[in-house]
Amino acid sequence: MSERRLETLKGFYRNYVKPFYEMAHKAKEEGKLVAWVASTFPVEILLAMGIIPVWPENYASLCAARRVSVPLCELAERRGFSKDICSYARCVLGSLFDGEDLPEGGIPKPDILVASTCACDTHLKWFQVASRIFKKPLLLLDVPYNVESASRENLPNHYLQHYVSQLEDLVSLLEKHSGIRLDEDRLRKTLELSNRTSELWLKIQNNRKNIPAPMGAREAFSAVYFMLCIPGTEQAVDFYERLCDELVQRVKQGAGVAENEKYRLVWDNLPLWFDLRIFQYLEKLGAVVVAETFSHVWAGSLDSSKPYESLARKHLSNMANCTIERRIELIASLVKNFRANGVILPTNWGCRMMTIGETIVKKKIREMTGISSLILDVDSTDWRNYNEYRVKTKLETFLKTLE
Amino acid sequence: MELLELFRPLISADNKFIREWKRRNKPVLGYACSYTPEEIIYAGGILPIRVLGSLEPPKLADIYLPVNVCSFAKSCLDRALKEEYSLLDGYVVSNSCDNQNKIYDLWRHCTAIPRTYFINTPHSITENALKFFCKELERFKEWLMKSFKTEISEENLKNAIETFNENRRLLRQLYELRKPNPPFVSGSEALEIVLSSMMIPKNEHNKLLHELLDGIERREDLPKEGERLLVSGTVMSNSKILRLIESVGGCVVADDLCTGSRYFWDLVKENGEPMTTITERYLRKIPCPFMNSSEERFKHVREMVKLFDVEGVLIFSLKSCDVYSFDAPLLAEELRENEGLPVLCLEWEHSLSGIAQLRTRIEAFIEMLEE
Repeated sequence: MSERRLETLKGFYRNYVKPFYEMAHKAKEEGKLVAWVASTFPVEILLAMGIIPVWPENYASLCAARRVSVPLCELAERRGFSKDICSYARCVLGSLFDGEDLPEGGIPKPDILVASTCACDTHLKWFQVASRIFKKPLLLLDVPYNVESASRENLPNHYLQHYVSQLEDLVSLLEKHSGIRLDEDRLRKTLELSNRTSELWLKIQNNRKNIPAPMGAREAFSAVYFMLCIPGTEQAVDFYERLCDELVQRVKQGAGVAENEKYRLVWDNLPLWFDLRIFQYLEKLGAVVVAETFSHVWAGSLDSSKPYESLARKHLSNMANCTIERRIELIASLVKNFRANGVILPTNWGCRMMTIGETIVKKKIREMTGISSLILDVDSTDWRNYNEYRVKTKLETFLKTLE
Repeated sequence: MELLELFRPLISADNKFIREWKRRNKPVLGYACSYTPEEIIYAGGILPIRVLGSLEPPKLADIYLPVNVCSFAKSCLDRALKEEYSLLDGYVVSNSCDNQNKIYDLWRHCTAIPRTYFINTPHSITENALKFFCKELERFKEWLMKSFKTEISEENLKNAIETFNENRRLLRQLYELRKPNPPFVSGSEALEIVLSSMMIPKNEHNKLLHELLDGIERREDLPKEGERLLVSGTVMSNSKILRLIESVGGCVVADDLCTGSRYFWDLVKENGEPMTTITERYLRKIPCPFMNSSEERFKHVREMVKLFDVEGVLIFSLKSCDVYSFDAPLLAEELRENEGLPVLCLEWEHSLSGIAQLRTRIEAFIEMLEE
């Protein structure tokens, strides 16, 4: 199997993720401003200001991959946090109640916290709790819910205005806290890099339309790190260029990620971070995940001449901020464009957004594409209710029905 | 007291006032959240009623939803699927939480509700948020006028504000009667009265309240004395849980519930442009846990504790309610450490399952307080 693994992704954690945490810890020691960031916050602003963004969500997935998320969740539960809330949040809050033996020495302490209500309530509430623990301010982007699932071109004006004026205020506050002025040129450059990252990322995805697909979900869920966490950087562009080149080569050679590709799947929501081997297991059965909704919601071009407005348009139309129609539309288009013959809909125990409505998605996808979906009730980082045998049996049975 | 018995039957989407309203061919609009500006609805000759859940098993909603979903929102959907809300001419949701927002998709796709509307309630209280919310409420007003072919004039809005404020003042008088020991009204009675105020025309409710308040201090069957408790939580659709507490010797004298004090505590300013004052009131009211201002809510709880001479607090976290669940340990800590109050944290489902366990825990807590 080893020759099937992508060269570019070898040692991904060691080469990119670990050094990032080391850099952030060092920056903190040197007195640089560190911000805790929740996904769907326009991180380009921080990058342009030289503020160090750290991602509690990324840290939770990392803890799960290292199999330490559950003991951390338990620490939070002992402090009274419900077992039913987001396991990312429980894991990270747990890490604050224990200082010892944390992967990568824990998340650097924040000087400031920034979040947006774009994806979920949890971002707001979790960061409120953290802000209280650290006694550091939380700056919030209070994003209107895109209840018409309007595309980025068709958003109501007052939604845009509200987002933009908040972002302006937020930048002034960040400037006040950091003593750093946001340089317009640098912001423009960051957005251009972010665009380039995004273009490359989509190009990478497009390569997966080929039969056999040259890349699967395991690789995608690692590589999305740049798109999600540090999109406006040279490092992201450089990495995606290399990955893209390798995929183009693979496609030329007709090399697929699975030895014998029989099924092509679309994967919704998150993976099981604590058991990413499930994707290899699927590949052995000839099933390749050719697209994840997760890989398609973070990309999107930004107009660097209208930075705030284009950030507003991008985030307001993010799938997580929309009604079910947007999710259905995205999955249906992925099924068509990536020539998939099955959809996996994993829910996430502590996440309402990833749990509610999957029955409708399943029904609508069937109506629109004729393709079946499998709902898997799981959690991305808390394995206490995970039954590997049962999940595998479900997947196998599902694949058989696709024949 | 006989008059008190009148309120409970009104907590129904099929009460005599709603039937009478419908008989006159006037529309009824269900709403999901206490941030819905009812005055605007009422000013258009439309009856706003709160969509409440029941404690029955949500058999139909279970077809669509797994267990890790707010059981209150699920129960509301279930009642709609069972056509218990078939008299509604529409359903209004406010941007309050993920559970409500995502279940709104199911209301649109799976129920027979004729029309729905979503108000984008901000989660922060800033000048920007006020401006945005005002715009949202203007749009809501337009939608009401168009959908129900009605006029919502400034004068009607002002009248609605007066009527609603009167109701709020009367409910606060009612809460005043919970200060003595024993109180003149029990916690379950008070909750029933507040819930019923959401289900009938406010002018009718005002009449009932006037009558009640005139005679209540001569009441002979006073509630039992007991440990003075405050109940904090999100929503309670009926008084069963409070009755349970009372049955084991608790005396609920105050609350922090969205179907209790948070619903009516704040008034709308009566001088000023009505849409502006309504916007202000709803955004600045005692915040629900989905807002970026938990500290304000905690302050309200601490004030209630002092005003009502509270001896212990029961925190009811609805399972899978993210917004409240994050707050619960913080509120508990604050009350224990800063106020020196005994606190019991309970996780519950908005259903009758698990009620025996709740009872045992509450009973033990009250015994502990009595020692």
